[in-house]
Amino acid sequence: MEQAIVLAASAVGAGLAMIAGLGPGIGEGYCGGKAVEAVGRQPEASGAITKQMIIGDALAETTGLYSLIIALLLMYANPFIGQL
Amino acid sequence: MPNGYMKLLAEETARTFTVDGPLKSITFDFLGREWVISESVVVQWVVMVVLAIFFFVLGRNLKVKPTSRRQMIAEYIVGTFTGQVDDAMGPNYKAYRPYIGSLFCFIFLSCIMGIFGLRNPTSDVSVTGAWAIITFVLVFWTKLKTGGVKGFLKSYVEPAPFMLPFNIIGDFANPIAQALRLFGNNVSGMVIGGLVYFALGGIAGGLASIGIPAVLSLYFDLFSAFIQSYIFVTLTMAYVSMADAS
Repeated sequence: MEQAIVLAASAVGAGLAMIAGLGPGIGEGYCGGKAVEAVGRQPEASGAITKQMIIGDALAETTGLYSLIIALLLMYANPFIGQL
Repeated sequence: MPNGYMKLLAEETARTFTVDGPLKSITFDFLGREWVISESVVVQWVVMVVLAIFFFVLGRNLKVKPTSRRQMIAEYIVGTFTGQVDDAMGPNYKAYRPYIGSLFCFIFLSCIMGIFGLRNPTSDVSVTGAWAIITFVLVFWTKLKTGGVKGFLKSYVEPAPFMLPFNIIGDFANPIAQALRLFGNNVSGMVIGGLVYFALGGIAGGLASIGIPAVLSLYFDLFSAFIQSYIFVTLTMAYVSMADAS
């Protein structure tokens, strides 16, 4: 019974952790949109803009990956099961 | 019960989906304790051998005026990395060209090892962590070399002294974020790929798992691997050139 509660809570927790995917999604979309605007204004600088956009995307993605790692920990290397 | 509820689920369906860590490929006794060489390291040896043979073959018999296609490819690769490093870091960092070039090739080939049926070394956080630590050391070394000890210490109280803790945290957060970014991307690709194989394996006696996952593999293994290795080397170059005090 206790184990079932912990497992269910871990599954719910993993799902909740992935809500953090919202943030990077919005951030990367904003970044991409601004990059398109910039290319529209200055098409000759598209190479430099793309590079900056990818760096910005990578930084925006970091928080999402942290939440992914929390979710993966809860699913495959659950630290709470061992404490029962 | 280490594998969580996935195993519970499996008791009902009689099929299991688990994600295993890297195998212990080689174990030996040395200096009175057991040493383990994991699968990740062994696959990296494979990558090293492949890259060494590839570039050795490309670099043989070079002529001033290229006549062979082989030399054209070699010049294209070297020229691309030279241009990238010069663009991002300026002409003072010529010494980084070979490092950045080989790092990119190494990470890219490590990421696509999943296609050949081997376990990606990049799905192991200690491998990506080691690469991030190299960047971390390079950043510190560049700071000390260009600014001296005084400039190094001074860079932590800029723009204002109360920024000291944030600057220190920022310095240590960079390699952690860099390592986890590469690890997270690759391990998520591995897990999603594995889940799709697992789900399709139950349809039509496993016939459905032929072909369909190739589309996912194209995205996660090739596209994501390329983008992530590009980001890793770009961030390395950005961090090192930002650490330049001169």
